This record gives sequence, structure tokens and C-alpha cells, in this order.
Amino acid sequence: MAEDASGEEDAGWAPEIKELRRRQELARRMGGPEKLKRQADAGRLNLRERIARLLDDGSFDEIGGLAGRPTYDETGELVDFLPANLIFGRGRIDGRPVAVAGDDFTVRGGAADASIWAKNIQAETMANQLRLPMIRLIEGTGGGGSVRTIETTGYTYVPANPAWDQVVENLETVPVVALGLGPVAGLGAARMAASHYSVLVKGLSQMFVAGPPVVKRIGQDLDKEGLGGAKIHARNGAVDAVAESEEHAFELARRFLSYLPASVDDLAERAPCDDPADRAEDRLIRAIPKDRRQVYEIRPILDDVFDRGSFFEIGKAWGKSLVTGFARLSGWPVAVISSDPFHYGGAVTADAARKLERHADLAQTFHLPVVFLADIPGFLVGLQAEKSGVIRHGVRALSALYQSDVPWCSVILRKAFGVAGGAQVRHSGYRWRYAWPSGDWGSLPLEGGVEAAWKADLQAAEDPEAMRAEIEARLDRLRSPFRSAEAFSIEDVIDPRETRARLCAFAEAAARLRRPGRSRHGLRP
Amino acid sequence: MPRHPVETEVAGSVWKLPVAEGETVREGDVVAILECMKMEIPVKSPKAGTLSIATEEGASVEEGDVIAHVEA
Repeated sequence: MAEDASGEEDAGWAPEIKELRRRQELARRMGGPEKLKRQADAGRLNLRERIARLLDDGSFDEIGGLAGRPTYDETGELVDFLPANLIFGRGRIDGRPVAVAGDDFTVRGGAADASIWAKNIQAETMANQLRLPMIRLIEGTGGGGSVRTIETTGYTYVPANPAWDQVVENLETVPVVALGLGPVAGLGAARMAASHYSVLVKGLSQMFVAGPPVVKRIGQDLDKEGLGGAKIHARNGAVDAVAESEEHAFELARRFLSYLPASVDDLAERAPCDDPADRAEDRLIRAIPKDRRQVYEIRPILDDVFDRGSFFEIGKAWGKSLVTGFARLSGWPVAVISSDPFHYGGAVTADAARKLERHADLAQTFHLPVVFLADIPGFLVGLQAEKSGVIRHGVRALSALYQSDVPWCSVILRKAFGVAGGAQVRHSGYRWRYAWPSGDWGSLPLEGGVEAAWKADLQAAEDPEAMRAEIEARLDRLRSPFRSAEAFSIEDVIDPRETRARLCAFAEAAARLRRPGRSRHGLRP
Repeated sequence: MPRHPVETEVAGSVWKLPVAEGETVREGDVVAILECMKMEIPVKSPKAGTLSIATEEGASVEEGDVIAHVEA
């Protein structure tokens, strides 16, 4: 080591580096041992543990770790330090770079302080400008938080939703995953919902615009779970998945991102695949019951046609007459939409339409080709359906379909009736579409349709019941999908066992047609 | 003994109740068949136990209605 003029050793900047290390050490104490213990006692990981478990080992590169509230003594010496309650940085998941930002609940319950706003804005902006998937680990309010602030500042402020321009911008630029890992309220809840994929952990995290104490003032005495538990928000579609544990939530986040590109300026990667494209499952020939009144399980069919084990369901607990998710075909990622006849026979409800719109927009944003396995008897009918505004949500879904330009392939497994039944494919342009021999379609089903079309004749008939049965039998003989194929109303009727091979061929062709870039319309959460 | 509700996830009319009151069911057994959108929608038991029925054939049900209980 060099010596300076006084003959003492020149330490260079070593004292400052020592101070830097001390401050980094102070930041790692987070909200202090007592608060960390309280977090652990509640069965929740702390934010640094979460980041470590989410990301590839040792890959976290923190930014802004020195930000926080200092306490200095009269000589100007730092004696205590409370870190900012948002920690962010870059890391890797499965070797791919990502951005991560989380709320430290041990510091002011995750509520904002003076430094968090800038950090949060920088975190979202970094994800955007570096084109990195964004993962939010949310706990607390993440906003102004407590009304106690009013006394400290001496005034009340007009709310402004910090970083919201970046949040909205990111929805049309990079994949955004939000994991709710404790009670989440206010701006925290908004940051959850403003994502492409959000997860609550069963029994551990809850979400609400305002928590139990506020709600009690309107006469509802509910605990956190009863007001905004996973069960409530998985069923209304405010979150996309429910995890069994925090580890499971991290696993879901990693899996979700594995199907997507890093941003809209990239294309999703093909995964290695040893599942042959021509794998033909014999049981598919019996998958659809011959009795039209009988329902069947859709998920085993998805397992049979997509790459083994590749189907990843999104939004399982809501809008259940449609199933949405991601899967792979010969390794190529695709967005999947299918009907589930166990719920209203596959009829499109208002919720199912909202789910379809959201998923079509997600596929469009990230250039994922879509495969739609359809069995749609129509929109759900009846008074409740009308009250739910099913037609408004239905035409929104139709708009999403017609506004998208990603490659689209549909397979009609059984029914396709009415406006909703027509929503399995864009009818403009080339239709890449197949039907199974169980195909059954039309503007109205015969049952009920006959009464509408022959109303006057039936009223005049001596035996209306016999006449209705006779007309139905007459029309039923014309119902074969082969007759529709003769008229080229359906492009092809295929052996269900050949579905996988056809879909793999579609995915191969579609992969070449994907174009990076921003979609002409942005995704609304 | 815990009493588990069997809820219907769809609205419709109760078409058939294939299991009699007081009989034992296994988890996943069909305890009611609803008619909805001209289809037969099975309602399965979430648990194994003894069935007590809370509806009748022909009744209209809404989403979330309890149509039976299973005592485990």
C-alpha cells in the first residue's frame, strides 16, 4: 500500500467502503429483529427470503439498497437506519433475466414512505426500458397507507397513484406477474390486479380495496379472509390463481413466464420436446358422449392433444364454462382456450366472456398463437344471464377476437350455436379450423328453435306436440357434420385421434408468422 | 362429525337425485344431476360420508345453492 506525504498508509477509499458495507448491513436488518420475528410467526417469509427463493440461486442484483430513513447523532454520524420498504433489482429465472420488486412488510407494514415512490417508479421503468418481465411481490398497502401521515405532513393530499403510467405501459410491453403474499389493500391491490397473472396464497394472503376496519364502518363485520381471501378473488377473476404456499406461488410465477417472451419485442422460445407430433390417443374417439345431453371432462382431452404435461391453466376458478391457459405443441408455446361442458354445458356466461377477452388480449400482446377447442351451445340464456349483461361482455370478447391478428386454430369438438358459437374463430381471412365427427351447430338448437320458427303452424296444429316431434325428427336427419362439410361450411371433419398432429402442424406454421412488436391495441387488465 | 355442504356451481333444475337420503357416498360420487342448457350436469360430492339431501327433483337451483350435506 502506498504512503502519503505524512508517512501514513494511504487507505484510498477504504473507509468509505467500510461505511458502505455497514450501511448495506443495516439495510439487510430490514424492519429489525422484532418485526422479522412477527413476520415469521405469521407463517410468512420476509421479502429477502422471498426474492432469494423466487430467483435463480445468487442471481439477485439489488438496486437502491442504500435508500431509507437515517438517524444521525449531533456529530453527523449515522447511528440508525430504516431501509425503504420497497426492494428491487434484477435477477434470473431459469437463466432468463427478470425484474423483481417487493414490499417489505416489516418496514411500516409495506406502506409507502418518501423514498419508496421513486424506487417503485424506477423499478417499473427499469422493467419497461430493459424489456424485462416484471415480478411484483406485494404485501401491505404500497400506497399512502396510514392516516397517521396526515399529522406528520400537516395536510391531506389528493391521491395520484404513483408509477401508474409505467404500470399501464408495462401491461402492453412486458409480462407482469403479481404475487400477493400477505394482506394486500388499496394501491397494493391495484398493483395486483394491474398484471397479466396474479396469485394469492390460500389462507396466507388476502386482497381488498379497504380492509376489515374500514368495512366495519359500513356494518360488515368480516375478518380478512372472509372479506378478501383467495376463495373470493379466484372466483370473481380478480386473481388468476390460488397457490398452496409461497413456494408454490413462486413456482407458478416461473411457470407462467416460461411460456412468454421477455417482452413484446421478442418471441417466445421453443422448448425441447420429446413428445411425438403424431402421438394419437385412442381414447379420443370415445371422448365425446354420443348422447348430446351428456357432459365430458375436457382436461384429459387437453392432456392428450398438447405436449404431455405442458398445459398450464390460468383462471381455473372463475368463468368456468371456458378453460384458459398456455400449453406447448412440439415445444412451441401457444395460448389455449377450451369449453368445459361441466359448467352450463359450455355456454358462455358474462364471466366466461370476460375471461375469453382477457386471454385473447394476453395472447395478442405476446404474439402467442391461439388454439381454441370449442363446444359452445351459445351464450347462457335466462333472466340471470340477461341481468349479468352477458351480451355486453360477449361482444367485448368478440371484439378481442376480431382485433387480434395472431394465428388462430379452432377445433369444434361438439356444439357451436349462435353468436357465441361463432366466436371460436375469426371468420375474416383464412380459417384454420377442424371439427370432430361429433360436430353439431346452427343458429339455434333444434330444441326450442323449432318452436320459434314454426310458431304459427304449431299453434294452428291439431296436435302441436306430434307436429313438433315430426319437424324435429325431419331436421335431425340433416344435422350430420358431413352435410356441412359437403357445403364447405366446415373446412374439415377429422378423426379426433389426429388432432394432435394437426395442431402441431399449426404450431409449426404459426411460429413463422409471429411478428415482434407492440400490438395495435393495449391490454386492459 | 363435520358436515360438508354440496354446492352447485351452475343454476338449473334438479333432474335426478341418484343417491337416496342417508346413504353413504364416496368423494366424487354424483349426488345430483341438474338440467341446464338442455344438458345433464352432474354435481359431485366433495367428501365421503353420509348424504342428507336438501332439495328435491324438479326444484330450481341457483349458483352456490346447497343441494345436500355430507356428514363425514
